[in-house]
Amino acid sequence: MRPPNAEPMLPGLFRQLFPAVAGLPLGPLLTLSLRSLARRRPGLFERLGESRSACFGIDPVDLAFAFRVVPEGQRSSVRVVSKDEAARSDVQIKGPLLTLLGLLDGTLDGDAMFFSRVISISGRTEAVLALRNTIEDAELRPADLLGLHGILARCVDTGVLGALSIARRLADKNPSGAREA
Amino acid sequence: MTMTRLELVCPAGTPATLRAAVQAGADAVYCGFRDETNARNFPGLNFSRDELAEGVRFAHDHGSKVLVAINTFARVDDVDIWKKAADAAAESGADAIIAADFAVLDHVAKNHSQIRLHLSVQAAAATPEAIGFYAAQFGIRRVVLPRVLSLQEIAALNRAIDVETEAFVFGGLCVMIEGRCYLSSYATGKSPNLNGVCSPPQMVSYDEEPGGTTARLSGFTIDRYERGQPVGYPTLCKGKFKADGRTSHLFEDPVSLNAGGMIAGLKAAGVTALKIEGRQRGKGYVSEVVRAFRKAVDAVEKGGEPLDIGRLLAGQSEGARQTAGAYEKKWR
Repeated sequence: MRPPNAEPMLPGLFRQLFPAVAGLPLGPLLTLSLRSLARRRPGLFERLGESRSACFGIDPVDLAFAFRVVPEGQRSSVRVVSKDEAARSDVQIKGPLLTLLGLLDGTLDGDAMFFSRVISISGRTEAVLALRNTIEDAELRPADLLGLHGILARCVDTGVLGALSIARRLADKNPSGAREA
Repeated sequence: MTMTRLELVCPAGTPATLRAAVQAGADAVYCGFRDETNARNFPGLNFSRDELAEGVRFAHDHGSKVLVAINTFARVDDVDIWKKAADAAAESGADAIIAADFAVLDHVAKNHSQIRLHLSVQAAAATPEAIGFYAAQFGIRRVVLPRVLSLQEIAALNRAIDVETEAFVFGGLCVMIEGRCYLSSYATGKSPNLNGVCSPPQMVSYDEEPGGTTARLSGFTIDRYERGQPVGYPTLCKGKFKADGRTSHLFEDPVSLNAGGMIAGLKAAGVTALKIEGRQRGKGYVSEVVRAFRKAVDAVEKGGEPLDIGRLLAGQSEGARQTAGAYEKKWR
């Protein structure tokens, strides 16, 4: 039985399939995606207030790499970094990848995940709170990050959210993954 | 005693939460501007002027009202910030302004007579004389009751006043008389009454230490948690302190108010509106709590069996523990 504060983790094999180098292209792609989102929805980034210029270290504990994100509207940047470099950010957020994605798409509640220690945060608490409230209000769908509209957007949302749901169920049945945390 | 249908007043910290509350069955939603004029001035929370206007349109289209909290106390050299907030709330088409400060109440009464004035819990008005004064001077139509009154006291109060009353039924419980707490000011220099923020997050830290996690506020240790144990937000009044050699929650246990079992009693006591606390909480929380209270209020209005709302919402309470607070007072 999983401990009460253990969320589904990706299997160890996944970590081996995606070493740090595999994550490198994600940096430029996510940077473009975030800047495009800022052009379409500038109000979303205004909600962050002064925390727009903060550097957020996002560390999916079941991946070999982490991210450094500065959500500064159209000057936003995302870099794939080592775990050590992510730990030197203004804010550090650590948790299983599927949980972090669940927070982004609104499937999971950030407060509940933090207070039950599924995710951990350290650094500037006010920046974490601003990010949490911004994401809550944004109601982001996968198609928003890709800048898609219409039928294509609906197909992508259905596909990606469906795949994530299946991944969560599979990971949930994989207690060995949870023990790797 | 009022026999009108109970109004369910629900929190909204963001536009998305406002929509969630309305869709879950809120009769009215309360919210505030993204500044120090309201008592939930947390980073990333609250509404811009445009967002409020849009929120009011959405709520009205769905048959709900919007109440705007401008309920902190103005500073002597900056009263205009509060007056402009009241002007913007009135222009947005909102249904009421919730205020406590004489300057704000006076400004709204003199310049925006079309909008209802509700007296905030921050005013801590709990006697017929105090409420009568606000009604006579500013024309308040409703008073949000401090969470220190028993059901019997509320019934007696309602018999003696001719404005509506609104009572908290769920959410964080402030043990202090609202508007008169100085704990946060003492520890951080910022208070809910003046700056709209109790235990501000920029002064919160969670420090990983050999024995576990220590939650601090402005450097003061508020609580310690062993590894794996659930953590809480370090609100000073809910911290664990050592006094007389004993470690305990000195001021207040981390429990939530749940008066879901008292809806019929509150209605019988003449209460007009039931308020859910939690503008700082997310959409999931707001949707679940509002939906449960919608069912419970409707059941009471139809004269049916009361729902076991405590069981329904146990997971949403702080520390997973609930209390009926002062409504069934066994202390004073």
